Amino acid sequence: MFERLKSILADKLKVSPDRITADATREDIELDSLAVVELSLLLKSELGLEISDDDLLEAETVGDMVRLMEERSAKV
Amino acid sequence: MTGIDVAVTGIGLVTPGGIGTGPSWEAVRAGRPTAAVDPALRDNSVRISCRVPGFDAERLLGARRALRLDPFVQFALVAAREALADAGLDPQTWDGARVGVVLGCADGGPGTVEAQHHVLGERGAKAVSPLLLPMQLPNMLAGQTAIEFGATGPNLVVATACASGATAIGTARDLLALHRCDAVLAGGSEAMITPLVMAGFAQMGALSRREDDPAAASRPFDADRDGFVAGEGAGVLVLERAVDARARGAHVHGRIVGYGASADAHHMTSPHPDGTGAELAVRAALADAGAAPGDVEHFNAHGTSTPLNDLAEAVMVRRTLTGDPVVTSTKGVTGHLLGAAGAVEAAFTVLAVEHGLVPPTANLHTLDPRMDIRVADTAARSPIDFALSNSCGFGGQNAVLAVAAA
Repeated sequence: MFERLKSILADKLKVSPDRITADATREDIELDSLAVVELSLLLKSELGLEISDDDLLEAETVGDMVRLMEERSAKV
Repeated sequence: MTGIDVAVTGIGLVTPGGIGTGPSWEAVRAGRPTAAVDPALRDNSVRISCRVPGFDAERLLGARRALRLDPFVQFALVAAREALADAGLDPQTWDGARVGVVLGCADGGPGTVEAQHHVLGERGAKAVSPLLLPMQLPNMLAGQTAIEFGATGPNLVVATACASGATAIGTARDLLALHRCDAVLAGGSEAMITPLVMAGFAQMGALSRREDDPAAASRPFDADRDGFVAGEGAGVLVLERAVDARARGAHVHGRIVGYGASADAHHMTSPHPDGTGAELAVRAALADAGAAPGDVEHFNAHGTSTPLNDLAEAVMVRRTLTGDPVVTSTKGVTGHLLGAAGAVEAAFTVLAVEHGLVPPTANLHTLDPRMDIRVADTAARSPIDFALSNSCGFGGQNAVLAVAAA
């Protein structure tokens, strides 16, 4: 799941791949509130995952986002 | 009359002639037309445009920045960066609160709006990008420029359609006269070559339909002209009070010594046939500069290549400017850069004065016989001390800048 998130962040949102680590915070990868909404839309269109921008904003790190994605995909 | 002497200390251009002031001026000086059939307009009834060649936003601005900026902002940032470097101003060390940004555009980011309108239709409201508004709002032109360079002084975008770039430079001049700030990034930018916008222009009958010979489509003042060719790009000048520019030892390309603005109050798209509105702006710019109509040696015309504009402008020039100025329209090369045109042409006028060279009006083969003006059909080299650049917008808005040698 980390690799899937990493490829969306790098390919679709043009975040530098070397910055995308499990410990990286939203600030580290320059994900402002608008980009978080974009990410939420991409998770839906690319992976079919329904995770709202509000939920994503509560994830402090990339690793937290991955855990959120794993939880949601388990429910699908 | 503001009695202010404003120096142009930096020039940045992104035009269909090339990226940068050097390539842009070279294309215009050589009279090399840039119009071509545009693959992005393959489903349109008119498919000719003037694109900026080889503009790679990811390389110029970084992939992440480029992704979040409409091309009308991308063009402006690249032009502003060149203008600041040319002026020798360093955003790391300046007092940003004394640096203003005044830019003009006719339409903001219509390409972004069109793309998201497709998303809305195909995938629904919940798929629309959160960046739709921050990417397309016209004022982002100045807002993003402030963010990029840390210019925290007065910041605004003006809209007078195809006069916007000139209005912005005139407004910047006023800000400097009032000491609202000490330097201004002033100019215009436009990226309106989209299928929807071009369909609208075509339906108005405003565009040239010379698809069999697109390079000859933009032919200002020529007897066979049949409409304009849309262009894209940006022009940004660094303006400072001349006394300040001299005090810091800056190179001065030329001076903006007057500004005049007016309205035709006549028709939503057609210029007044006698050019009476434009004449008011010309006379106001001359008065602001403390100059007489006979002093004008060179006139950079709006010269769109539409039947109505060029005739009205020629009639106005003949009636108003008694010194028989050398007239040129650089739109024969660049096409019509719409809200950026006034700024790009102000830059070309400054360069004409600086280099003593009036660029030719490309594709002028037979002057419309109803016109009694002197139009440069080849590059004319002669010293120029005083010139005007004229811009007119839909809605009847006119803006004229008076340019003097350094």
